[in-house]
Amino acid sequence: MLEQRARIPVEQRNYAGFYLAFSALLFLGTVWAVWDEVRIRRPWKEYQTAYYETLYARLDSLKRTALGEIDPEEIARLEANERAAKDALKNDEYREAVEKKNALLEELDVATREWRFARSRSDAAYYQYQKAFLAGKDASDLKKEVERHDAEIADYARQMEKLNGQIAAYDSVINRYEDAVQRSQADLRALYAKANSYDLKLEKAREAPLDIKQVILADFEYTPFTEIKSRIDRCQTCHMGWAEDVMTDAPQPFAKHPLPELLSIHNPESFGCTPCHRGQGPALTKGFAHGEEDHYWETPILKGVEIYATCNTCHSEETVLKHAKPFTQAKQLVLESGCFGCHEIKGYSDAPKIGPSLNALTGKTTPSWIYRWVQDPRAYNPHTRMPNFKFSDEEAEAVTAYLVSIGNKSGYSPLAPRGAYRGGSIQRGRELFQSVGCQACHVAGQDTRVRDERGTSYDIAPELTRVGSKVNPDWLFDWIRNPRHFNPTTRMPSLRLTDDEARHLVAYLMTLQDDRRFPSPSLDLSNPDKIVRGEALIREYGCAGCHEIKGMENEGKVSVNLSDFGRKKVEQMDFGNTRELPHDAEFDYAEDPDGTVAVKHTWSGWVYGKLKNARLYVTDRIVQKMPVFTFTDEEIRLIRAFLVSMTRDVPLPTYQHPVTKRVADLEAGRRLTVHYNCIQCHMVEERGGFIRTLYEDPGLGPPPLPETQGAKVQEQWLHAFLKNPTTVRPWLKLRMPTFQFSEDEIAKIQKYFLAMSKQDFELRDYTATVVEAKYLAPGRQLFELYQCAKCHPTGSADLSELSASDLAPDLALAYRRLKPEWIVEWIIDPQKLQPGTRMPTFFYEGVAPDQETLGGDVREQAKALSAHIWNLGKRK
Amino acid sequence: MRKLFRAVCLTIICVGMVTAGDVTGKVSFSGTAPEMPRLRMDADRFCRAAHKTPVTSEEVVVNKNGTLKNVLVYIKGSVGKHSAPKEKALFDQQGCMYIPHVLGVQTGQPVEIRNSDNTLHNVHTLSEKNPAFNAGQPIKGHKLTKTFDKVETFKVKCDVHSWMGAYIGVFDHPYFAVTDDNGSFTLKNVPAGEYTLEAWHEKYGTKTIKITVPAAGKATAEFRYPN
Repeated sequence: MLEQRARIPVEQRNYAGFYLAFSALLFLGTVWAVWDEVRIRRPWKEYQTAYYETLYARLDSLKRTALGEIDPEEIARLEANERAAKDALKNDEYREAVEKKNALLEELDVATREWRFARSRSDAAYYQYQKAFLAGKDASDLKKEVERHDAEIADYARQMEKLNGQIAAYDSVINRYEDAVQRSQADLRALYAKANSYDLKLEKAREAPLDIKQVILADFEYTPFTEIKSRIDRCQTCHMGWAEDVMTDAPQPFAKHPLPELLSIHNPESFGCTPCHRGQGPALTKGFAHGEEDHYWETPILKGVEIYATCNTCHSEETVLKHAKPFTQAKQLVLESGCFGCHEIKGYSDAPKIGPSLNALTGKTTPSWIYRWVQDPRAYNPHTRMPNFKFSDEEAEAVTAYLVSIGNKSGYSPLAPRGAYRGGSIQRGRELFQSVGCQACHVAGQDTRVRDERGTSYDIAPELTRVGSKVNPDWLFDWIRNPRHFNPTTRMPSLRLTDDEARHLVAYLMTLQDDRRFPSPSLDLSNPDKIVRGEALIREYGCAGCHEIKGMENEGKVSVNLSDFGRKKVEQMDFGNTRELPHDAEFDYAEDPDGTVAVKHTWSGWVYGKLKNARLYVTDRIVQKMPVFTFTDEEIRLIRAFLVSMTRDVPLPTYQHPVTKRVADLEAGRRLTVHYNCIQCHMVEERGGFIRTLYEDPGLGPPPLPETQGAKVQEQWLHAFLKNPTTVRPWLKLRMPTFQFSEDEIAKIQKYFLAMSKQDFELRDYTATVVEAKYLAPGRQLFELYQCAKCHPTGSADLSELSASDLAPDLALAYRRLKPEWIVEWIIDPQKLQPGTRMPTFFYEGVAPDQETLGGDVREQAKALSAHIWNLGKRK
Repeated sequence: MRKLFRAVCLTIICVGMVTAGDVTGKVSFSGTAPEMPRLRMDADRFCRAAHKTPVTSEEVVVNKNGTLKNVLVYIKGSVGKHSAPKEKALFDQQGCMYIPHVLGVQTGQPVEIRNSDNTLHNVHTLSEKNPAFNAGQPIKGHKLTKTFDKVETFKVKCDVHSWMGAYIGVFDHPYFAVTDDNGSFTLKNVPAGEYTLEAWHEKYGTKTIKITVPAAGKATAEFRYPN
């Protein structure tokens, strides 16, 4: 064909066909380019279209349901009302009123016009009169003229007033009819209000354009070159329903955010999404935005509990976040497991050591027990926090030798003479153990309820199931009488036991024997070489990170700094001899029956393996010293989330939660309450209170310490109580132990309580509180009527006989213990201040049972009761 | 398509011929009745004086005819939509005891909580789905009206008088009953269909029976406790 064409002279060749073909190609190319640009490369448009379709469908069905819920009888009734009201407009009274009113309005118009004219005439006449008067002419006629006009004005004004009055009379008739119509219409509208609200939403959604929803966080963070840069988030382009109630259980990406209360503090419209969730903000396709497809994106989207890791970027100084339970749990795990003993972790450098002092062990136990413990702590106590260092026999012997050598030099001996523990009753001891509160922290035998309630893989205090095989009774007697004699920094409190009670307890505890028999090892403990070797091992393995050990008071951290561990590259991690699990495997870690282990060769996989078995990556050439912990899988995930949070990338201070004095006070208090394990018994900031599982009726357990505690008790009283607890709730067999807090610690607790109540510390003389005399008589009356003394002792003997049981605190103590303004709030609604308390609400739903005294006013009655209570103790 | 057809047919059948029947039956008790402890009301003079004869715990009440009292019998799950009845259910405190000991109510139904005693009582609900409350009633004749919106069976106690306890069962349909002195129960006008009938007892727990209410007529069921 081309040959044929070549024979045609150039000027006679026809190019129409080519032009047609190429222009068609060009046209198609353009169409494709536009389609590609507008649709194919913008998959978010499909999401938005699908989102709106789902939204329409849901709104529509909600509207239908709302319409269906309307009682048809009600519609008929209201419509009949409306018709009747409209029909009424046709009756004579209304029509006559309207006609008459219109006629009067015309008359009023005329009168008003005449009144205006009269005023003009009066002004003109006055001008003439003034002009004549100033010119010195006789102006009396002119003056009369002015007066005549003024009289006319007054006439018309009277006329107008009369007309207005008549019109108003007709208006009231007309309004009566028209209001009825309007009311009936408003009633109808109210009936349809819910359905109409969905209509309104539908209309708004229909008008919404398809567009990219973008949040710009100006000056958000630093680049690696310390330049300030902004962050752009476009997540809401696809995740459109995050704030839409209707989309609560919709499939992703349209679902409503599950934590709206969290978003009310961190509004995504100004705060974006990636600061919490990570991922690639500006990306508009799923794979890139979530960072799964873009392997070069360093911070892919977080999943599971790890989402809470990013809380730490701004809240690194806090250990409790109300809306982030996993964050709180993870930090408590880190505090309680003592990771900071070996690792430098930002914010934990001055956390107290978690283990006991090892300086006087020989006063307490035997060298062979120490030897076995050092080899495998969990063999004796399966729930100890002490990890396993996998020492060889020779190493364990050396460590024991050093500990025995410092123990022998400690000079410890019990206060009481040897044998003073004898004579206790095992039975009484068991009863005491179960009632005074030992069980809050210590497990003995089968009763593991408190441990199960706590739900951690470790106990805070040692399990006592085999304690009789570990300690000597002289030491035990000394220890439970006053723990601080043996160890001045111990957290074990004194339960204020009498010597007899202590003897009973010793008798019981010494029956708790290890029923296993061990061959006694032949230990060469006095060999100086062994002692030196032991000291070196203790130093090398960093035992002083958790324990106080003589001669090692100023040891540094033995292991790596974790403050930027979250950014550690997988290339920097060694996976030893483990096999590799595929990246998309369901698990991070798998053990084969043949004993080999496979992990994902990723950051997450490495950490999981390390926490599962700290010696997992050991090879012939690589030595590892981290001891083996026995965390549960859930704990491992929480600690891993904590490690994810360990990065130095933080937003600029404007985006951070400032560490105010209040936050610092809260934090000091939280750490103290974790350290002393107050949360074992008391519920503080929605955590803890584990001991209450021992009580069928939670009201019989220890009182929670709600956020209002600081507003409740007097500072002086709290100070005295913490120094030396006294009985407030006589019905509790459980005793608040004496922790022997230092003044500094008491101040921290005081400030903690006050900070939770958002109150400031103030010096107040509560004895000077004035009780208003007018409240005294009604107060006494109400106290009788509401039968407060049925449960509350009031300090006097004859009243206590009446009490149903010793159920409630003695009110005679109130004026020395409670803040007067708190008593009033407590009386008004105790359930609000302490949900679940046994104190009932007497003013249920804000209504006083007695409607007469003080006019039945709830607050006045509460004030009167408070006044009476305040005076109860003083009267004595 | 076939599913849709079936659904449509079912709807037509349901709508077209709404039929209902009563479900009756009894709860029998085998073996010897456990001896119930005597309630000691010495802590409150009023309560002690209110009873001339000794009162025992109502935890297990076996009737003379060998049946079990205070068993809550109900249809498990939802049965259509029902608006709340307007008439109040009464929950009384009399002689420092709750009357009735087990009460069934419908969601949204007003419950009048009354103190007929001349002493202080408090009504402390240990509900989990419905908001718990603890209201004091210090004056004789004091009344509170409450409604419960969530389906749940929960305990009510009095903190002043430790022996006082009762249970309230909340249902989103009217097909429930509490066994009486004859150990029998009747669920009225249950729409025809297949149901799971459940019995609940505070000590012995729940038992279920499958029942079919025929288009015309009645259904019967018998529960056996304790085993």
